[in-house]
Amino acid sequence: MESDLEHIFEKFPNGRREDLIPILQTVQDEKGFLSEQVIKDVGKYLDISINKIYGVATFYDNFRFGPVGKYHFRLCHGTACHVAGASTLLRELEKLLKVGTGETDQHGLFSLEVVSCVGACGLAPLVEVNDEYYTNISLDSLKELVKSIREKENNIL
Amino acid sequence: MECKITVNNKTIVAREGGSLLSALQQNGFKIPTLCHMNRFSPTGACRLCVVEVEGKQDLITSCSYPVEEGMKVSTNSQRVIRARKSLVELLLSNHPYDCLYCQRNGHCELQWLAEEMNVKERKYFAGKLSDFPDYSSTSVARDPAKCVLCSRCVRICEEVQLVTAIDFISRGNQTKVNSAFRKGLNVSSCIHCGQCIQVCPTAALVDISHLEKVQAALASGKKVTFAISPSVIASLTAELRLKPKDMVINRLTAALKRLGASMVFDMGTAIDINVMEEARQLAERIQNKEEKLPMLSSCCPSWVRYVGDARPHMSDHLAKVKSPQHIAGSLIKKVYAKDNDIPADDIYTVTVMPCVAKKYESSWEQNTHKGIAEVDSVLTVRELFRLLRSFGLSLEHMEEEKPDAPFSQSSAAAFKPGYSGGKAEAVARELFRIMGGKNKESFRFLQPKNLAGKREIHITIGRNTVGFAWVSSIAEAEKYLRELEDEKRDDIHYLEVMACLAGCAGGGGQPISRGFEQVRTRKKICIDMEKSGKPGHAAENPLAMKLFDKYHFKENMIWEEPE
Repeated sequence: MESDLEHIFEKFPNGRREDLIPILQTVQDEKGFLSEQVIKDVGKYLDISINKIYGVATFYDNFRFGPVGKYHFRLCHGTACHVAGASTLLRELEKLLKVGTGETDQHGLFSLEVVSCVGACGLAPLVEVNDEYYTNISLDSLKELVKSIREKENNIL
Repeated sequence: MECKITVNNKTIVAREGGSLLSALQQNGFKIPTLCHMNRFSPTGACRLCVVEVEGKQDLITSCSYPVEEGMKVSTNSQRVIRARKSLVELLLSNHPYDCLYCQRNGHCELQWLAEEMNVKERKYFAGKLSDFPDYSSTSVARDPAKCVLCSRCVRICEEVQLVTAIDFISRGNQTKVNSAFRKGLNVSSCIHCGQCIQVCPTAALVDISHLEKVQAALASGKKVTFAISPSVIASLTAELRLKPKDMVINRLTAALKRLGASMVFDMGTAIDINVMEEARQLAERIQNKEEKLPMLSSCCPSWVRYVGDARPHMSDHLAKVKSPQHIAGSLIKKVYAKDNDIPADDIYTVTVMPCVAKKYESSWEQNTHKGIAEVDSVLTVRELFRLLRSFGLSLEHMEEEKPDAPFSQSSAAAFKPGYSGGKAEAVARELFRIMGGKNKESFRFLQPKNLAGKREIHITIGRNTVGFAWVSSIAEAEKYLRELEDEKRDDIHYLEVMACLAGCAGGGGQPISRGFEQVRTRKKICIDMEKSGKPGHAAENPLAMKLFDKYHFKENMIWEEPE
């Protein structure tokens, strides 16, 4: 069966082992996450065991194995944000969004990811929603943010 | 280049640039280690082999440090001993408290280390690992809670068997050994060879035990019939430090009879039939100049599985014959049952094999007949010992009793599949007979010194020159097949592949031994046993010949690809 990743593989004509991570990154940029089928196709192309690829991909936090929600929350948990109370915010955010860290809710609306320092320590604590930064957040502003999104989506859950 | 180093104020000679650990071990210094494996590149994962080197601020791991001229090493300073003890205590911090119920109790390297380091209490408390145990496979069970992340299984699965069915998943303190997508071994690329069980220092990897099933069958009043593989006999002889002439098969027969076995058969006859059928098919393929050459041996289920998974286009090349285990199973449940008027489902067949992949093989659908399995349970050598122990029987002091007729005869060729290269030799001799060669006893295949070594031999039979080759371990087999394909060679007609290093002598169901000493002993005993005065040729076993002629039951002999 022809893989639908051929156009990506064409960019890496030699198919060497060291192309693995760039290929995975390109695939994730296009597909949003790494599905089992994608990993199998990449394994076939590079002649690497799928378990090896899965092992490499799980080593890095950047790779995802499931689709993200319409609103993808990325909470910074670097040192500065941690000192500013990111742990409390994370617990609160999990309750508000009704998803665990690294998960996507069943409606495909919200997903939550914890990231290391995003380099905006002066604005800590902060959360990034679909590439938009919300800085100096507090428990109240977080509630407000989630509520506004829910209202926009008419989701009263 | 040789150089001198000082260890604990003693001067020793070592090879410069070689690993410090092996230099120390060769000179009789005992260095504990969990992750080191001979022939493999060092990882320094367990850090138990730490030593103090003068001029170095930190302790260094001797497995990954090269020998340097004039270095001063201390292997048992206070600092080293303290560090090692802490390391073991840390390894134990999240280890389960169930040593008494553990399959590896008494054979566990972590347990030995805790004892050696004088660990008397749990000093550090870490949370239990939350990963689920994996009992999905038919042959290998994983319990991540007992894993010490030494990476020995991961390395052997990748470097020797090439399948990478298990690998490290995630990172840091979340690291676990798991199969792809954490989905379980039954849907992974696992070939069930059991080499990971052999190298695991703890009980994180164990076989799926059939012991309880066998005990239940013994208690149920069914006719429990044992079939003993000849390589198990070689293994028992090695384990009990006996000589081939001591005839362990007779002692084992007596012991199994005492614990309630109805019949005990020697699997030799089945092996002879298997060899004859393979040789017949090989002769047919050579004479018809078929495309399906080289013919691949199919008695190793791990290899069969690998071919199906990774080289499906070569499935046709496999010899279409049941493995000896299932020839034995079908002989018992069909021929023996019919001849003695016993309903087939009154018989409970137990085979004793040096292999865990045979457990997997016994679950294939084509190895059942009208819903009745040919082989109900497969015991490994380890399980056999456990079974005998639980009945208070010991092979050291046991009277002798011959295996039951009719399947008591075997030729010396029956010991050949016990080691890499043996099967090829047995098939070659049989082919000689079929294709009308002369002096069938005059050739012997020379065994390479290297355990995984591949070897090729060309012999002239009549007007044909037939090429035989053998390799052990999947990595070598794959390398060799690629070589054949790249060079477009067609001079090799038969390729024997055994998935374990050195063949069944190093099988996954053998008693656990570190290093290859025991493997070499078992192989040597197999070769010695061939000289026991039995006929040296599969076709010289009159019973096998008779059965082979009578039951040319092709349709039952046909071998099909497992799902």
